[in-house]
Amino acid sequence: MKLITRRWAVLGATAILAASITAGGVIAAQLTTFENPDRLAKAIEKDPLVLAADIPAAGGAARHSVLVQETSTGHICLWDVPSATPGLKQGGCNSADDPLAGRPLSVSFSYDGGPAMASVRDARLIGLTAANVASVEVVMNDGTRRPMRLEQARVGGAEYFAFGYRFKAGDLRRGIGPAAVVAFDDSGVEIDRQATGFTG
Amino acid sequence: MKRFAVVAVLLLVSLMVVSSAVAAIYAGPRQWYAGQTASTAFSPTWIRNAFSTYGSGFDKTVTFIDNVSYSWHNTVRNTSSWTETYAPYSPFRVITDKGHCKANVGYFWGSCSIY
Repeated sequence: MKLITRRWAVLGATAILAASITAGGVIAAQLTTFENPDRLAKAIEKDPLVLAADIPAAGGAARHSVLVQETSTGHICLWDVPSATPGLKQGGCNSADDPLAGRPLSVSFSYDGGPAMASVRDARLIGLTAANVASVEVVMNDGTRRPMRLEQARVGGAEYFAFGYRFKAGDLRRGIGPAAVVAFDDSGVEIDRQATGFTG
Repeated sequence: MKRFAVVAVLLLVSLMVVSSAVAAIYAGPRQWYAGQTASTAFSPTWIRNAFSTYGSGFDKTVTFIDNVSYSWHNTVRNTSSWTETYAPYSPFRVITDKGHCKANVGYFWGSCSIY
């Protein structure tokens, strides 16, 4: 009886050991193949920011800035921040090897309120484009278009264009919001189109 | 027998330490499908909310949801490999909210973190 109990104990301990090693292996595999969030989060806090474009104050909403950040972790980030408090960042980062994720245009959409469009109080769009993009327009869900003003931006030794735009409060109140962002080359050919997914 | 027990306990403790080191992650790393969401508990202490993915090009949203109106605040939607926003702040009152993240497309590998 004592021998059987001992065997079960050894078997149980071995099972725990195997499970621990397997779990540890799984966690280690995830940590080595997946971006370490803490490392990038810390770099975002301390690495320098460069002004790329402005979003003027309007309708009681504060002025915002579009900032570019090259991080020590090998990322390029694009941020929409209140100009008075640039530490409050909204946006995102991509690998510095591919800051536009393989496309001519990378955009980030920020808003307060919602999720229904009628309750959105302030909505802004920021973006970075490749140098061969000549113009960018936002196609609204009523079919009208809003041209973006492109500003030259040098990022990671390469030329890009940056932009920032605040949607009119009146449009949002009437349920008119951005449906897609479209990029054109200098001959007017559409070279990228990205749906915002913002249906209210 | 005692050796097995000691080793097992030490391994479990080390696993718990590893878990606490990544405690800011509230969802994943895992495979996400379109429409899937995750949230933290409500707290007045959150500062930043981020959704990171393995690779870029995946449409996703991060936001904060307050515990009074359940309205969304400082929402960000993009396809970057790292999508981030900050918690709403008021000098006049304490805002209690929860971090919330949503995959607008599937399938991709990613995690949501709160700070």
